[in-house]
Amino acid sequence: MSEKKNVIHVGIDLGTSRSAVSASNGQRHIIDSYVGWPVDMVARKILKRPVLVGREALDNRPMLDLHRPLERGLLKEGSEKDQEAVRQLLAHLLELAGVGESARGNAQVRAVVGVPAEALRVNKQQLRTAFSGLVDALLIVTEPFAVAYGIEALLHAMVIDIGAGTTDLCVMNGRYPTEDDQRTLLNAGDWVDEQLARLIAARYPEASISPYMVREWKERYSFVGEPHGSVVVSAPVKGKPTELDITDAIRAACEGLVPPIAETMLDLIARVEPEYQEKVRHNVVLAGGSSAIRGLDVALSALLQEVGGGVVRTVEDPMFAGADGGLAIAIDAPDGDWEKLVA
Amino acid sequence: MRRIDRTKRRILQQAVQENLATLRGSPPAGLARARSRWNGALLGASPLLVPGVLVIMALVWASTVGDSAAPPTGRLPGAPRQLRHASPEAVEQEREKPSRPPLQSLNVAPPDLRLPHPALLDPATLALGIRRVVLDPGHGGDDLGTTGPMGLVEKDLTLDIALRTAEILHAKGFEVLMTRDADTALPLNRRAQVANTLGGDVLVSIHVNWIPNRRARGVETYWLGPTDDPFIKELAAAENRSSGYSLADFRRLLEGIYADVRKDESRRLAEAVQAEMYKSLARINPTLQDRGVKTAPFLVLVATEMPAILAEVSCLSNDEEAGLLATGKYRRRIAEALAAGIVAYAQERAAGASLEGSS
Repeated sequence: MSEKKNVIHVGIDLGTSRSAVSASNGQRHIIDSYVGWPVDMVARKILKRPVLVGREALDNRPMLDLHRPLERGLLKEGSEKDQEAVRQLLAHLLELAGVGESARGNAQVRAVVGVPAEALRVNKQQLRTAFSGLVDALLIVTEPFAVAYGIEALLHAMVIDIGAGTTDLCVMNGRYPTEDDQRTLLNAGDWVDEQLARLIAARYPEASISPYMVREWKERYSFVGEPHGSVVVSAPVKGKPTELDITDAIRAACEGLVPPIAETMLDLIARVEPEYQEKVRHNVVLAGGSSAIRGLDVALSALLQEVGGGVVRTVEDPMFAGADGGLAIAIDAPDGDWEKLVA
Repeated sequence: MRRIDRTKRRILQQAVQENLATLRGSPPAGLARARSRWNGALLGASPLLVPGVLVIMALVWASTVGDSAAPPTGRLPGAPRQLRHASPEAVEQEREKPSRPPLQSLNVAPPDLRLPHPALLDPATLALGIRRVVLDPGHGGDDLGTTGPMGLVEKDLTLDIALRTAEILHAKGFEVLMTRDADTALPLNRRAQVANTLGGDVLVSIHVNWIPNRRARGVETYWLGPTDDPFIKELAAAENRSSGYSLADFRRLLEGIYADVRKDESRRLAEAVQAEMYKSLARINPTLQDRGVKTAPFLVLVATEMPAILAEVSCLSNDEEAGLLATGKYRRRIAEALAAGIVAYAQERAAGASLEGSS
C-alpha cells in the first residue's frame, strides 16, 4: 500500500530587486533581494546573526558585506559569494513560505521559478545548481509566461513584465512561448534609477544621493504623463538637509521606458497572425514591480490607438503576479512530470 | 472551459519538455548520440576493438607517410596515431582499468602524454567530404572571456550559439561534436587534443570580439597564419593566454604548419563562414562591418589536425551589438549563418570531390 505523498507547491519570482514566493499552504511573501554578512566581529556581535537577508540586510548595510546576487533577473557571474548569496536568498524565501529545511518535515517541495524570457541555457543550469538540495523538484519557466498562466491569458494576449533588471514581453498564442514570441529589454526599473540619478545629479550637483534613496523616490513617486503635483524630496547638500524638486527628472526618467517597450510591443504584435492582432492589442497586461509607474498603462494604450486601438491594463497584484502564476503552474503540472524534474 | 484545460495541459507539457532538455545538458539528440559514441569509442574501447582500430589507423597513417617526405616531427617511432591523439584523461582512464590488458600488451608504445604534434593532413582525404563538424565554444568555467556593458559574458554566449549551431547542423545530417557543452573550463591545448581525438573533419571555434574602439562592430573570421597587425597580435595573445602551452611548445607547433594543405582548406572554410555571417547578419544589423577574413596564430587553430577557423561572431564592446546579442533571435541568426557557412564549404568540397572523381 503506498503512502499518499505530502506535497507543497511553491511559485517563486526571483527578481533582481525583489523576490516573491507563493505557496500552496497559503503563505505569500515578498523580500528585497539582498543578502549581507557582518563585516567584522563587532558587526557580528551587534547583529547577532551570521547572515541577514532582505530588508533587514538593506537596513543594516553599513555593517554588512552586502550582495545583490541577481543581475538582470539571473545569477551574477564569477563570484562565489554571490552564488552563496543566491542560496541564502532562496533558503530564506522557502523558510518564509514554511517549506524550509527545518519546517517542511517529510513534505515534498515542488517549485516553479520564473526567469527572464531570453535567459541562456547556461543561466538555467546555474539556477538549477543553486536550487539543488533546497527543493525536491524544480520547473523553470519564463517570467511573463508564469504571469500569463496565473491570469489565464494564454491565448491572444500579451504580457509585459517590468522588473528591476529586465522588461520581458511575451505574446501568448495558446502554446508555450518560443523565442519568436518573447523579447527581453534591459530598460527596466534599474535603468530608470540610473537615469533618475543622472538627471538629479545634473540639476543638483552638490546633493549627496545614494542609489537606495533614488530607488525609494522612484517607487513612491514614479509617473509618466502629467504630474499630480510637484515631487519634492529631501537630501543632504553639503551636509545640510535640503528640499529638491525632482518632478521633471522623475517624469523624464520614467518616460524613457515608454519608447523601447512600445516599439517592442508593436513589433511582437506585428508578428501575430493578422486575424488575431486586434485581439492581442486589446489584451495587453502589465505586471512586475515597475508596472506600478503611474500612467504607464495609459501611455501605452494611447500608442496603440495609432495602430487601430487597444487596451493595456495592469494586473491586480503586480508584485505577486509571477509567483502566483508559478504556483498555478506547479499545482497543475502532473505528478509524472514532477518526478522527472528532480532538483 | 475544456478548451482552456486542454491548452494548459499542452502548454505545461511543452514547458516540461524544455526543462528536461536543459536537465540533459543540451537538446540536440545528435549531440547526445555523438557524445555517447565518443565515450564508447574512446573511454570505453574494448581491448578487442582497439587492435582493429589500430590496424585501420595504421593503414591511414602509412598512406600519409607515403605521401610525405618525412614523418611529422615529434612522433615516437612506431606509435600509432590515435593513441597520440587521445586526451590525457582518456589514456589515464584506460590505464586505470585493471580488467584490461596493459597497453604494452597491445604491442603499442607507451602513450606520449606530452603535447601531440598535429599531423599533416593528407590532401587525398579532403575528397572524402565533410561529415563531422567539431564546434568549440570559446572560454568557459572560470575563464569568462570578454564581458559586455550589460553583464553579458562571452563564455555563455559562445556556448549558446554553439548549441544552436549544432542543432541546425545536426538537422542537416552532419555529425556534430562539441569541445564543451556546459559551463566548464577547458584549456586551449585540451580543446585541440579533444578535436583531434574526435577526428573532426573541420573545427569551428566560436568567439565574441572586444574592440577598444567602442564604435567598431562587425564580424571577422580567422584561419591560421602569421600576422603583423598589432591589434590581431594582441587579440591572439589574449585568446592564447589560457592555452596551457609553453613558448617552446608553441614554437614547435608552428614549425611546418603553415606549409600544410590544411592552410588552404582553412582559408576556404573561413571565407565561406565569413561570407554567410556578413550576408545574413547585415540584414538585421544594417551597420554591421565586414571585418573580413584574416590570419592569426590562435593556438586552438595551431594544434588541430583538421581545417580549423576561429569566428568572432559579434562585438561585445559595442553597445548596440551587445543589445542584439542579448536577444535569442540574434544569437539564432548567428548560429544559422555559421551553419550555412559550414554547409557551403562542405558543398564546395563535395563538388570538388565529384569533379576529381570524374576526371
